[in-house]
Amino acid sequence: MFLPRVVKRQEPLQWGSFFIFAAALVVSLGVSCALLAVHGKPPLKALAVLWSGGFGGPFALEDTLLKSIPIFLCSLGVAVSFRMQVWNIGAEGQFALGAVGATWAVLAFPGLPMWAMMPVMFLCAAVAGGLWAAVPAVLRLRFGMNEIISTLMFNYIGILFLQFLVYGAWKDPASFGFPMTPIFPKAAIIGPISPATLGRVHWGLAVCAGVAVLLAVFLKRTRLGFELLAGGENPRAARYARMPYNLLVLLVMSLCGALAGFAGCIETSATVNRLQPSIMVGYGYTAIVVAWLSRLRVSSIACFAFLLAGLRVGVEHLQLDLQVPAAFGGILEGMILLSVLAGQFFDRYRFTLKGRS
Amino acid sequence: MSDTPHTHAAVAPETPRRAREAHAHLPPVVRLDGICKSFGKVRANHDITLDIRPGCIKALLGENGAGKSTLMSILAGKLRQDSGSIIVDGTPTVFASPRDALRAGIGMVYQHFMLVDSMTVAENVLLGQSPHMLLRPARMRDEVAALAERYGLAVEPAARVGGLSMGERQRVEILKLLYRDSRVLILDEPTAVLTPRETDQLFEAMWRMADQGKALVFISHKLQEVLTVADEIAILRRGEVVDEFSEADVPNQTVLANRMVGRDVVLQVDAKRLAPVDTVLSVEHLSGPGLSDVSLTVRRGEIVAIAGVAGNGQKELVEAICGLARPEAGEVRILGRPWREFFAGPPGRRGLAYIPEDRQGLATCRQLDLVDNFLLTTRNLFAKGVFLDRAEAVNAVKRVVWEYNVQPGDITASARALSGGNLQKLVIGREFFRKPEVIVAENPTQGLDISATEEVWGRLLEARSTAGVLLVTGDLNEALELADRIAVMYRGRFIDVFDKDDAAKVQAIGLMMAGVRPDEPDEPDEADKAGEPDEADKAGEPDELGDPDQKDEAETPA
Amino acid sequence: MDMDTALLLSILAATVQSGTPILYATLGEMFTERSGVLNLGVEGMMIVGAFTAFLATHLTGNPWAGVLAAGLCGGGLSLLHGVVCLVFQGNQVVSGLALTILGLGLADFLGTPYVGITTTGFQAFAVPVLADIPVLGTIFFRHDALVYLSYLLPPLFWLFMARTRAGLALRAAGEHPAAASAAGLSPVRIRWCGIFTGGFLAGLGGAYLSLAYTHLWTNNMTSGRGWIAVALVIFAFWRPGRAVFGAYLFGGVMALQLRLQAMGANLPSSLMLMLPYALTVLVLLASSARGGGRAAPAALGVNIEPEE
Repeated sequence: MFLPRVVKRQEPLQWGSFFIFAAALVVSLGVSCALLAVHGKPPLKALAVLWSGGFGGPFALEDTLLKSIPIFLCSLGVAVSFRMQVWNIGAEGQFALGAVGATWAVLAFPGLPMWAMMPVMFLCAAVAGGLWAAVPAVLRLRFGMNEIISTLMFNYIGILFLQFLVYGAWKDPASFGFPMTPIFPKAAIIGPISPATLGRVHWGLAVCAGVAVLLAVFLKRTRLGFELLAGGENPRAARYARMPYNLLVLLVMSLCGALAGFAGCIETSATVNRLQPSIMVGYGYTAIVVAWLSRLRVSSIACFAFLLAGLRVGVEHLQLDLQVPAAFGGILEGMILLSVLAGQFFDRYRFTLKGRS
Repeated sequence: MSDTPHTHAAVAPETPRRAREAHAHLPPVVRLDGICKSFGKVRANHDITLDIRPGCIKALLGENGAGKSTLMSILAGKLRQDSGSIIVDGTPTVFASPRDALRAGIGMVYQHFMLVDSMTVAENVLLGQSPHMLLRPARMRDEVAALAERYGLAVEPAARVGGLSMGERQRVEILKLLYRDSRVLILDEPTAVLTPRETDQLFEAMWRMADQGKALVFISHKLQEVLTVADEIAILRRGEVVDEFSEADVPNQTVLANRMVGRDVVLQVDAKRLAPVDTVLSVEHLSGPGLSDVSLTVRRGEIVAIAGVAGNGQKELVEAICGLARPEAGEVRILGRPWREFFAGPPGRRGLAYIPEDRQGLATCRQLDLVDNFLLTTRNLFAKGVFLDRAEAVNAVKRVVWEYNVQPGDITASARALSGGNLQKLVIGREFFRKPEVIVAENPTQGLDISATEEVWGRLLEARSTAGVLLVTGDLNEALELADRIAVMYRGRFIDVFDKDDAAKVQAIGLMMAGVRPDEPDEPDEADKAGEPDEADKAGEPDELGDPDQKDEAETPA
Repeated sequence: MDMDTALLLSILAATVQSGTPILYATLGEMFTERSGVLNLGVEGMMIVGAFTAFLATHLTGNPWAGVLAAGLCGGGLSLLHGVVCLVFQGNQVVSGLALTILGLGLADFLGTPYVGITTTGFQAFAVPVLADIPVLGTIFFRHDALVYLSYLLPPLFWLFMARTRAGLALRAAGEHPAAASAAGLSPVRIRWCGIFTGGFLAGLGGAYLSLAYTHLWTNNMTSGRGWIAVALVIFAFWRPGRAVFGAYLFGGVMALQLRLQAMGANLPSSLMLMLPYALTVLVLLASSARGGGRAAPAALGVNIEPEE
């Protein structure tokens, strides 16, 4: 009798990542279309809208690129964190705090010229996001508290804090009661790089590129970066090699918070030009999907961030054209992540047919 | 690889053997026929045929990696053979899981116990076995107590397994099998974690089980134990059965050793003593969890071995010395510097090198490549400011891989591809690259074959010219061959520290490992009375101490 | 009875009501974790449960149909987690997160047409004799059927774990799957049961929200209760007794929150809403500081590798 048996691979599959993602995408789209059909929406048309909305044409691509900027930054942070087995799922809250920090800078120093305003904004955003992540890190290190729960709770608290501010102390008196701060002065708004050629794509993209390069250099070329990689692989070996493991955890969490903070700052400044709750659309959670998909290669992160941003934009179009609820995006992302997790099995194992007497 | 020169049970072997003759006429319970098993390219078992008879204790002898554990895992249903059949009571049977094997009456006591620490002894024994859906703790305890009584296995049914000693845990494992009316009990290296006294108790229990018709398989690489307890001996070498005979056919250990490895090998080295120089490591009155008042010095030019059964504080001592655990009380000085100051920064040159027992889990990161693994402890040596000079590191790794003969030599492959021996060579190469002045090596040749062991021993001896070496090992032969001084550890303290040339103390190592202080080595009776509280068990032992045959084997191997 | 006592009693009664869905979810997740699987998808399973309970009741008019549907759907969703982790060796933490994202999306997507619609659901009734006990009667015995059902869960949980053969097997799967395997059990099969039961109970917790606590469906009804349940499992040291205490503690905070808002308290609503989440952090901090993590089942979160 021949039975398929599972055997561990000696070396992981080449190009595994992309095959797995492609397969996961097919599965997820399949299930999602079935759901759409159940709901009375034409599935094939929906797929077309999804594609064209996200990737069909320059305007769509612009949209996608814009959305991929915050996702990319959050994903970088989450990926570094996950690589160290520090389950930071607080990117959403850290994003919120970053936005809050940037806004504080704008409100506190209204007269600054752009060349001063920008760095101050980014700095405050990074500090706010970083601290918001550092607290759960300290709680984990000092008290052994599970960081999954703490960062998640900090998400809820962070978002509520943002709401508290925009409904209260920071509310624009001229906004007719809508929760939003006054619009930012010109100096605090990140502008488009080149309206003629790149449309609405703003300097946040340059920030992304800069951060990506710095991070890649840091991880590959510096001692601390090496310690991060090794520490993530095997914390026991890290202790054996006398790496400052606790410091590394703190660093990684704060870095994640700072990067998410940058993302929050950019969204607030470039996209809505003021602080309002509508910037919270779940980029922090999408970042988790991207981070897991890409397993910490910066180029992969860029790729997957773009793809998932495109899906988001596509879902927005589905909302407009076919009245599909926005939650559809959550279904897609959840299914993709589940399928990828399942698919990664084939990265590590293969089936063999072995004869049995 | 000669054996522990320790005492063995005094119960005259004659009595149990006669009872065993009663079962000699019965057909084999199990026959393994033509069993083959490979892991990737490694051929673990090749065309093995063996009979297992009731009332008979069969020993499976072989070095590490000979295929003994694999074969028995197949028999116990844990692994599936590639080809060949298992014939139980004359019928070929297929085991899809350990459950099937257990149902057929075959059970195994593994080296790493399969016990749930948070549950009681009774719960562990009855796991998966209770005929009742509802459990009543009192009833469970009574059942287990009765079973323990019948086979002479002393254990407290209501005790939490997490708090038991190794010997007691092993008894629980055996009870599990007896509860299931197992007809074949396989014991995989059972004495590795036992003190000599517990070993004797185990052998007595084994004889009692054999008397009652059980078939026992005893896996070991320790020649003397096999000679003591077994009725039949099968020798495995490189996955094949090379010899099979009854105990009466074998004259002594050396012959067995020859048959085991195919050449005269009871490994020996030419360890010329060096004159020790300055003190490189000094431990004074170190105390803490698992340790009580340990004091030790190691000087450059010497090897100090810490011998003892695993679990007597060696781990805690090594962790304290190597900077992994802060010493609670007492002082540790490395190269003259206090502990806190020495371990304040990352590893560098001319410091302390720790070669741990756990190569895969502690000393390396399996998923990373050889260069990254190399950089683990040498990262500071390639630092240029905040940056890491990878190109330089790659060159260094290539040199080390060549010099220490690490196979395969592809430095971009992950460490997963290396076998135990090669991984150990990489670790040693890495640590020696740092030119350490203190080397702490923990069971450095465990799981290595003969040639790898020889290489490692050579390196350690060589290292004496620039460093002091602290060798923690459970292999007494290794300690006796390499060390200048030996410390025997028991329950967190040193029973004694003595020079290798002190023959009387070397003889008494077995006793020391069981906690007996050889205060008056010239009067063995006094020493015994002072040590062991239980007189009955020790009856007749003093005679064994001075066994001239034993002594010859230990000191002048053939 | 004067006004203050009446108020206090009504808050305590509301505490029980508020704590019930959390209790269901906590005990469910505790069951799953005792078998060795970490399932962070509780929030997703709860909200799916809430929606299916609502839908089934809406369509059939029978709230018990809703309860059954909620359990089955919660369990069904958890089976996805089982497939990913038990079959495909996926990372348990990330899989649970994915399940939450999926569950929240599913419930929102399918439930959009039904937002704000009310349904029959469960009505409160007084238990004869017990409801007349002074003080305790008012607090515990004037609720609906699902609350009474939840009273049975903790003792049943304890009985199962400590006094049944199956419970022993489950504990072994969570502490040392290799030992369970060596004893002839199938830890993977046990974990499937653990996962499904956890999902079923989480679904019931969600059902409570849409059929008893309120009688309607709105978006994001669970508001993080699923996450609080995960935290409470740790707080409870994986034992049912403390879970009851924890669930009612949170129930009390949420009941208080509502009361204060209704009474027009001066605190801004955002800060008030923070209370349960901040409390979760504090509660978890307290138990972690006392070595809570060490009480975890030893093999929690660790997948069982396939045999060679």
